[in-house]
Amino acid sequence: MHELLIKINDAVQKRQQAELVPSIEAAIEAGLNPKAIIDDGLIAAMDVVGSEFSDGIIFVPEMLVSAMLMKQGLKLIKPLIAGGSDEKKGKVLIGTVKGDLHDIGKNIVVMLLEGAGFEVVDLGVDLSVDQVVKKVAELKPQIVGLSALLTTTMPEMQKTIAALTESGFRDQVKVMVGGAPLNQAFADSIGADGYAKDAAEAVSLARRMVSA
Amino acid sequence: MEQSPYIRAMSALYQGRRGDRPAVANPTSIVCHELMEQTGISFPEAHLNYKMMADLAIAGHEIAGFDSVMPEYSVDQEAAALGCTIDWGDKDQMPTAKDFPYADFRDIEVPENLLEKPSIRVVLDAIAYLRKHVGGKAMIIGKVMGPWTLAYHMAGTENFLLQVGLGEEAKVRRMLDQLMPVTIAHLNAQFEAGADVVTLGDHCTRNLVSPKHYEQLLLPLHKIIAREVSGPIILHVCGECSDRLELFSRSGFAAYHFEWSVGALRAVQTIGDRMTLFGCVNNAQTLYQGTPEDVYKQARMAIEAGVDVICPECAIPLSTPLENLKAIVAAAREGFGK
Repeated sequence: MHELLIKINDAVQKRQQAELVPSIEAAIEAGLNPKAIIDDGLIAAMDVVGSEFSDGIIFVPEMLVSAMLMKQGLKLIKPLIAGGSDEKKGKVLIGTVKGDLHDIGKNIVVMLLEGAGFEVVDLGVDLSVDQVVKKVAELKPQIVGLSALLTTTMPEMQKTIAALTESGFRDQVKVMVGGAPLNQAFADSIGADGYAKDAAEAVSLARRMVSA
Repeated sequence: MEQSPYIRAMSALYQGRRGDRPAVANPTSIVCHELMEQTGISFPEAHLNYKMMADLAIAGHEIAGFDSVMPEYSVDQEAAALGCTIDWGDKDQMPTAKDFPYADFRDIEVPENLLEKPSIRVVLDAIAYLRKHVGGKAMIIGKVMGPWTLAYHMAGTENFLLQVGLGEEAKVRRMLDQLMPVTIAHLNAQFEAGADVVTLGDHCTRNLVSPKHYEQLLLPLHKIIAREVSGPIILHVCGECSDRLELFSRSGFAAYHFEWSVGALRAVQTIGDRMTLFGCVNNAQTLYQGTPEDVYKQARMAIEAGVDVICPECAIPLSTPLENLKAIVAAAREGFGK
């Protein structure tokens, strides 16, 4: 791999803020393919960061800094991709369920999904069942992602899936769920299509869902 | 001879005489729909009216059979007093903070009349009411948020943790230092109002931060809090924390309320000789979704492991069946076992 791509990758992985922008500018100036800068520099770095997070080597503060750097990098490079239109892997509609304002986990999933090439529509927090149904009707995503951190708000996930069924949209979307108190058994019991224990796993799950 | 609930719970808190059976007490909320229905007291009123708050807490003792009463159901009382907009929810929803007034990390303006702010006063009045009505009969547990959790409320969790990640130590320390007096004042006020013990929620969990950051940024403040507050404190940290149990034991707090994911045996073996342990029936899969038999088995596992006080791992989902809460008490009534 080109030395500058390694530097970009390192800057994101090791959170070297001062290194990122000069390395990207140098890579652009050296005529490196913008797509390679994104794939081998930024996204490959975030894959490592995701694994380190899953393995408990790094924690949320470190993950947030890497994700912030990835976003900065993408902002610099995306305008250089021909026509500005990079092909999306699929559309994900995502949010934290009603009564729950905890959005860090969800935000990290959003960052990694975007980094992995998905079009992500982040509906935010405290999402009512009606909001989800309305947005599914309007935006026609392939995947709906629901997040809850609190054991007190987990029941909202079941209500949301039931509402998708009642409104006739259930068979048009895959529903993935995640959040600290959840597990696969809970996801199965409420009729979700998939459960991810962390952000890196959510990306793998989304990839499987759109390729199925 | 059967001990009184108060003596049973207080004895367990100090790892004293074991008595007839393990204590069952709740450092966090055990309010569920059935308790609301049976008392005719619901949310949001029980967050805002001291008598309703206290009477609903008493239901946890008289109806569910716990050896304690704990009247604070939200985590937002201090946040409201410090200027956060709070949606106090309804019977199906816990309160939530709607904004983060100090997202810019400017100096926190702590009101001079902090303890007279309605969201704090209501808890203090509820504790005084409980002291009058069940003092000496059930263990009265208060609840206060620590500086780390308050910083989440003031700056926004993601924003605060990003500053931690960026190494903005001075900024982070200044906010924590400014919030610690709020925690200390509220803790002392709850003891003065009549609490026997107070839960300190401070969410420096493995799900969010490293043990290194806990040790560097928060443990020193926990030691100060433990020194400046005379009554016993139960540290409550949600989530998996097995990598920082040793650090918790250095805080000086009397007890630690832990989640199922930590593991009862691991908690007992690691710090059971230094902290009284409250735990750890799983909320999501067992109390909320499981049967009374599932709950009974898990409570017995905690008892057999040597956990001092048996309880749900955290505030329970509001639709938790009451019979599942009662199954914790039933398991304790079987005695200590081996």
